[in-house]
Amino acid sequence: MNQWLDERLHISRLNDKFLRKAFPVHHSFFLGEITLFSLIVLIITGILLALSYEPSNSLVTNSFDPGTSAKPNLIPAAYHSALKINAMPFGDMLRRLHHWMANIMIAAAVIHMMRIYFTGAFKKPREINWWIGMLLLIFAGLTAVTGYILPYDNYAYQTVGVVYAITKSVPWVGDWAAQAAFAGQFPGAGIIPRIYGYHIMLLPGILLALTGAHMLIMIKQKHTQPQYAKRLAYKKIVGVPLITQQTPIMLLLALLFTGIVMLFAAFIPVHPVEVFGPPSSTPIPNIKPDWYLLWVFGALAIIPGFDLELLGGSISAEFVGAMVFPGIVIGAMFAVPMLDRSKENLYYAENPTNHPVRLAAGTAFMGFMLALSLAGYKPDLIEAGVLTTANANAILWILVFVVPALTYFATIGIVRLIRALREADERDAAVHSGQLGHSAADD
Amino acid sequence: MTRYRKQDPELTRRKFINAAMGGAAAVGTLSLVSALGSAKPVFRLTPALAPPMAGDVLVHADPSRYGEPVKVSDLGLQLVRAWPQGKDKNGDPVIRDQDPTSVLAIFKYPAGQVQEPTDLNATIDGQIVAYGDRCMHAGCNVGNNDQQPGLMNCPCHSGQYDPKLGGKVIGGPPPAPLPQLPIKMDGDKIVATGFFLSRPYGYTKEEDWKAYTEQVKEVLG
Repeated sequence: MNQWLDERLHISRLNDKFLRKAFPVHHSFFLGEITLFSLIVLIITGILLALSYEPSNSLVTNSFDPGTSAKPNLIPAAYHSALKINAMPFGDMLRRLHHWMANIMIAAAVIHMMRIYFTGAFKKPREINWWIGMLLLIFAGLTAVTGYILPYDNYAYQTVGVVYAITKSVPWVGDWAAQAAFAGQFPGAGIIPRIYGYHIMLLPGILLALTGAHMLIMIKQKHTQPQYAKRLAYKKIVGVPLITQQTPIMLLLALLFTGIVMLFAAFIPVHPVEVFGPPSSTPIPNIKPDWYLLWVFGALAIIPGFDLELLGGSISAEFVGAMVFPGIVIGAMFAVPMLDRSKENLYYAENPTNHPVRLAAGTAFMGFMLALSLAGYKPDLIEAGVLTTANANAILWILVFVVPALTYFATIGIVRLIRALREADERDAAVHSGQLGHSAADD
Repeated sequence: MTRYRKQDPELTRRKFINAAMGGAAAVGTLSLVSALGSAKPVFRLTPALAPPMAGDVLVHADPSRYGEPVKVSDLGLQLVRAWPQGKDKNGDPVIRDQDPTSVLAIFKYPAGQVQEPTDLNATIDGQIVAYGDRCMHAGCNVGNNDQQPGLMNCPCHSGQYDPKLGGKVIGGPPPAPLPQLPIKMDGDKIVATGFFLSRPYGYTKEEDWKAYTEQVKEVLG
């Protein structure tokens, strides 16, 4: 059969080119795989959910609580179908699995990017893949946000209101763009079909295309090699081939990972649509976005209100907080490969402690994001008595600047300590072996 | 070498292909833009989509009492959320709950607490005030401030308002005060006497709001 297939599909060429791709043996290289597995499970669970979901915000009678014929209990069809999915055998668990996978996909992607950043793997020739990765992160975020809106409970309704407002806040074109994107003025009669189209067709299509490009480029360029590969066989690709060594590891990881997330889904409830209820004008106290958008939310909570007129357009705090500021942050992340001016191709993953400024800048950035995320908890902090209405903004603003600065200098200090200890170790080793100490700077 | 070189025919072919591709891209972009244009549906004003206007009775928005007229005895320092109820072409009552901008928050304060810049003529005895209940920042519904009764907090980005002072912003990012709705008593019902006195959420300029109210009067008036 192999020969039959080979004569038609040239499996042996495919084998030489792709299936023998060497995977580096190091656990940090599994983070990207976990992101990929999450995407696959998300698509499978998404298809299953789509089979029972009704993408419509027309009002229907709630079959669980029909009310009276004089005063029927009308709820949006999308919300009704979410209730029905919850009532299916394992339906609630399916929704939770989809939810947890989405959160974990973004978490794994973020940690994967941290690995890339701290080991310098974004450097030449892999800049393009860093940029594609950034696009993947942005589109994954958009997919998650549109997914939140689909159950069309009160939480979704309040969320889509804010997303609409953010779109609308763009000067000059915002009003038109928001109406075009959300099928009319909020909440338009066709808002759910529109969001459904984005969430199940447009955005997954973009995600799959970008993922394909990301992986093809990775196969073409090869992984960065871990440091041990340099000692083992300099300038040679070291690792285990996809077929047959890496595949069982991948399968094992995929099954183990999915199994763990299924346990999450079985025991940890998320987003109870019944509790939030159908869309209403009652606000949800302390409503918050998901953790990966909390930094934008925090920025919006502490930016003072203003409204600037500029050539007939209006520049508001909302626009600056939710568009300009995240634009700058994401722009800075996009620019990361451009900060490296080396003309050489990078083959080996770098030890972060040998690049203290990059390491410290990365940890300071994380500190910055955490401080902003904390600002997202402003109302909760005031309610708990930790801060007062009067001092909350000032203290949170100070933290937003002080936390990254402290993180930066603490990281530099710790790196110096590590390097001092390492050099002392090397001197010791040199004395004991009676040889001259050699630098192991890149180990 | 001759003085005049024969032109390479390959070059003209390339030029032709480039021009053809450029033309196709331009036409394609144009048609894509026009297709995108169809994504924005036309807005048609119906009585249910209209903003609160003169003569509208304020009715409860809370699902448990939905549609019941708000009574003075329901009011206090905790806000009561309400929709305006107007009449359609046939004179049948219609609750204007299709545009979230129309949702209202009503308070009743002890005498003397409501002060300028509140329009006191638009209140009932300087005690009962009504505001649009969508935050001027991102359009979330504004709730009670649980620490200080009588103030309002937006759960979305921590906007804070004081309804006793004309819906003034006292904290957070909102760029403008909440819009006050002029009201009066009509028997035991609370009735609106006009449009919001300032722009509600969704209108960046006062002129836009004025223009919209003119349009509403023309279509439904």
